[in-house]
Order: sequence, then C-alpha cells, then structure tokens
Amino acid sequence: MVRKFSRLQLVLIYIVMVVMIIAYVIPFTLMVLGSLRQSVNFIPDLGYMLSNISAENFRYILQQALFPRWFLNSVIFSVIPVITQAIFCTLIGYVFARKDFVGKSVLFWIMVSMIIIPTQLMVIPQYIIFNRFDWIDRYWAILVPDLWAIIGVFFARQYLQTIPREIDEAAFLDGANDWQVFFQMILPLCAPAVATIATFRFIANWNDLFRPLIFMLSDTMFPLPVGLAALYNIKGNFGVQMAAATLAFIPTFLIFLLFQRYFTQGVQMSALD
Amino acid sequence: MSKLNPPVQPAYLSGKGRVSAHLTWFDRVRRELKRNSFAYIVMIPVVIHFLIFEFGPFIFSFILTFMNWPLMGVPTFIGLDNWRASLADPLVWRSLWNTTLFALYYVVPTIILGFLQALLISSNLPGTRILRITVLVPYVTSGVIVAGIWQYIFKGSETGLFNYFLGLFSIPPQPYFSDKTLAMIVLASLSIFRVSGYLMIYYLAGLRSIPRHLYEAAEIDGANRFESVWFITLPLLRPIHFFVAVITTIGAFQVFEQMFVITHGGPAFATTTIVYYLYQVGFNMLRMGYATVVAFILFVVVFGLSTIQRRFLGKDVSYY
Repeated sequence: MVRKFSRLQLVLIYIVMVVMIIAYVIPFTLMVLGSLRQSVNFIPDLGYMLSNISAENFRYILQQALFPRWFLNSVIFSVIPVITQAIFCTLIGYVFARKDFVGKSVLFWIMVSMIIIPTQLMVIPQYIIFNRFDWIDRYWAILVPDLWAIIGVFFARQYLQTIPREIDEAAFLDGANDWQVFFQMILPLCAPAVATIATFRFIANWNDLFRPLIFMLSDTMFPLPVGLAALYNIKGNFGVQMAAATLAFIPTFLIFLLFQRYFTQGVQMSALD
Repeated sequence: MSKLNPPVQPAYLSGKGRVSAHLTWFDRVRRELKRNSFAYIVMIPVVIHFLIFEFGPFIFSFILTFMNWPLMGVPTFIGLDNWRASLADPLVWRSLWNTTLFALYYVVPTIILGFLQALLISSNLPGTRILRITVLVPYVTSGVIVAGIWQYIFKGSETGLFNYFLGLFSIPPQPYFSDKTLAMIVLASLSIFRVSGYLMIYYLAGLRSIPRHLYEAAEIDGANRFESVWFITLPLLRPIHFFVAVITTIGAFQVFEQMFVITHGGPAFATTTIVYYLYQVGFNMLRMGYATVVAFILFVVVFGLSTIQRRFLGKDVSYY
C-alpha cells in the first residue's frame, strides 16, 4: 500500500491481528496444556490450569510399546519418500527438461492430467493390487508408490527450465557423462527445488491419514495419524491423547519453521499445474 | 544415372543417412535407444512404475465399477448393477447433500478469512511475520491432531471450553457433535481453521502482483483505503478468487478426517460425506466394486470443477 496508515487504522489493524493470532494459538495452547495435566475439565482459572503440571502423560505414552512404534512408522513413511523423491523427481524432471525420447510430450501430458484423480479413487484398485502382491500391512504399500511423484517432477522440470542449458552442455564438452552431469551439477543446482519437493513431501506424508488407514491393518504398522485416531477412541484419557498429539505435532511444526520459504514456493507452484 | 546426379544431396541423404531408409524398424529402435540411452534408462522404469501404480489402477477402477468384487471370494461381472444401485441408494444422495452442505459452510468463510489475512500481512507492518507463521501452522498440522483438540473444545457438556464461553453470554450448553445441524458446522469450522492460511498464500502473491501505481492513481482521485480495496484490489484479484473457490470446493468434496475421527458419520448419517461413505462401503462392508462407483461420483465432481477452472483460467489473466 502506498500511503501511511492513520492512527485509528493502525489501532484497528493491530486489534484484528492480535485477535486473529490469539484465536489461532488457543487450540495449540490447549493441546500443550492438556498434555501436561491429568484433569480433563476446563476450569477458567489460568492459575489453576497452570498448577499441578507434570510430564506424567508423556512418560506414560512413551512407555507404551505402541506409541514409539507409531512414531517410527511415521518417520519411515515420510523420510524415505523425501529422500527417494528428492533424487528421482529431479532426475525425471531433468530428462523431461533436457532430453528427447519417443512420446515425451504425450507421456508428460498423461502424467500431469493424472494429478486431478482423487487419491480416494486410486486407493481401491491399489488395495486389490497390493493384496495380490501381499503388500497389505507392509511398508511397501506406501514406500514403493511414493518413490517419485508427478507433482515433484513437474516442479523440478519447471525449475530446470530457468537454468541455462549452456551450464550442463559445458560439462558434456569436458567429457562428463549423463550421470556425472546429473549428480555433480544438476542436483546441486536444483537445491532450492529439491528443498521444496522434500518439505512438501514430508508434511504431506507425515499427516497422511487415508492411505495408511486402508493399507495398514495391524496397530504395529500404524503411522501417527492412524494411531492417534485409534487413541482418541479410548475415552477418558484426554491428557494422554494430547501428549501423543503434541509429540506428533512437533516434527511438521519444526520443518515448517525451518523451510517456510520453500513451503510457500511449493504452494504457489502447485497452483500452476 | 548416378553419374548424372552428382552427390550434391544434403548431408542427411548422403552416407549413412541414406541407408537408414532401408533399415529395419529394429535397427532404428536400436539406434534411437543408443542415441538417447540415458533418457530411456531413466524413463522405462518410470513408465513401468507409472503403469503399475497410477495408470493401471485408474483403468482397473473403471472396470471395477462393473464388477461385484468382494475381498474374499470370486469377482463377477455384473454390468451396470453397481451404477444402478448407486442411483437408487438414498445414502449416496444423502452423502452428496451432506458434502454440499459442508462446502456451503466451509468455502466462503475460508476465502474471506484467507483474504483478510493476506490483506493484513501485505501491510508489512511489524508483527505481520508472526501472523503469517501462525495462520499457516494449522495447515501443516495433521487434521487428526486438530480434530482431537476440536473434540475437546466443543465437548457437549458444561465443562467444554466453547460451552463455557457461551455461558458467559448466558447461552445454554450445546451438544455439538450429537446435534444434526451443529455437528456439520463445527466440523466445517475445523477446516476453515486449517485451510484459510493456505489460501492466504495465494492472495498474498496476488496482492503483491498488483502494481502500486493503480493505488496511487486512486489516491489522487480521492479514494479512501476501503474504496481502494473494494474497487481495485478485489476486482483485480478475480482470477485468484476463482482459483481459490475451485480448489476449496474440490477440497470440500474430499473431506474425511474429521468425520472419521470425531463423528463417525453420525449422528444419524448427518455428517456422512461422500468420502466417508465410500470408506464405509469399501473398507467396512468390503464391497469394492460399489465403493468404486461412489469414488467415481466423487471423481466426476472433482473433474467437472477443474474443467470449469481450466476453461476460465486457461490463459493467463491480466488486467494491466
């Protein structure tokens, strides 16, 4: 905006801003506060709410065999796809951006148009296929389909088109082969694109409920969202539920704080498909 | 003959190139593979993977709609029976209506809130960074986590936080999740809370792309700040309003998490949305064929919405 705000406008803006921030922070405050207390009831007395605080719920949830296992499963379901997609999406994006092969544009068009097909439709035939593969209740059911993703390929290709071709052509003249050019030049050059793909994938997979809910049957295979939903169904231990929720909340929160810029870029990027 | 035609042909017809006309298709394939070997080494596994995990399942899902496919036992071809059954199934219509209702409660408030947040943040005043981070945190947090908190805030008894708040205005406690109307509104509020910050990103990008000179001109013409927003900002952001409306509506039709965690589709099917219903049919009743029909109905809605979006936003829209 061009002109300066008047005093009244400034007061109004800050009132709206503060109210909004408080409204957004309250639910998470309740989560943390709830995780530190034994009583379920809300008592409108901050002094009382802050008294008798303990880490008992955290100790309890971490001693349960299942919760650490859910956490580990969530790490597996998010970190491995982050690594494979960072490499493969960039590699495939590089081929689409720089190489020629038969059927390139048709293939790209088909892949990109598959983006709009809802996961909920794909999950049913995938379930039947994975049942045949004996992949139900195994990590493969999530990890193998997530080796790469078209949205990441699209993003990497788009990013590579902004990097001048001369850079990799010079490397070829120096006698490097394609793999050397990719791993020693393209991948490092694509670092911002890789960070975006990785941040996006981590958050999406850490929070994914639908696919693991369907592909994972035994409670030892659940990632956190599925495990939390099961934990909520046991009534009356709100403190323990919130302790589990708080621990599940921390990783995406930290990743978001660290990689905010890349996250925002990824959001804007996904609008262009 | 050949002597009368001295070799002045272009390079591609001379030498090896000329022979290529007589090469078998096999040789041509081999040569193409050799020339672009890197691309094929990468793309052949990718295409196979794509066929097995994306394209194949999609085609298979279409076939599934004509099959009776119980998880145990032998699948049978039943023609259009699943489709016919879905049209006659009151719960399909009920869940479509419920989803529309959810969209009505959710889309417009989310857009307004997202726009308001972007407007505040674009002022670049001190503190806007905190606002920007704060409104995005719910979006990067699992819906299951937020649903757990919502369950607590909207607890039906007097000890619930929101009921305590209502009590301050001497409004009697409400039974949120066991009330047919309120349940859906409260579930929509969760999505409003989670997604408005995400829309803020698009609006902020839009606001930053509006050239300053338009505001300067308006100022010279004597427009106040509110008029500038109303007559310049809002109309110029029309492509973004449209985009954001389409993506939130698509999101509304895919809503599942809070129904699964909090209400389990109840009370009395009042929060059974289309995805919750397909989950019930497919993975509780294990009727895969029928569930795919329900999923296809969802797909048709999503496809329709994104086609509309492509039609209207196909070309880059620019007003200046």
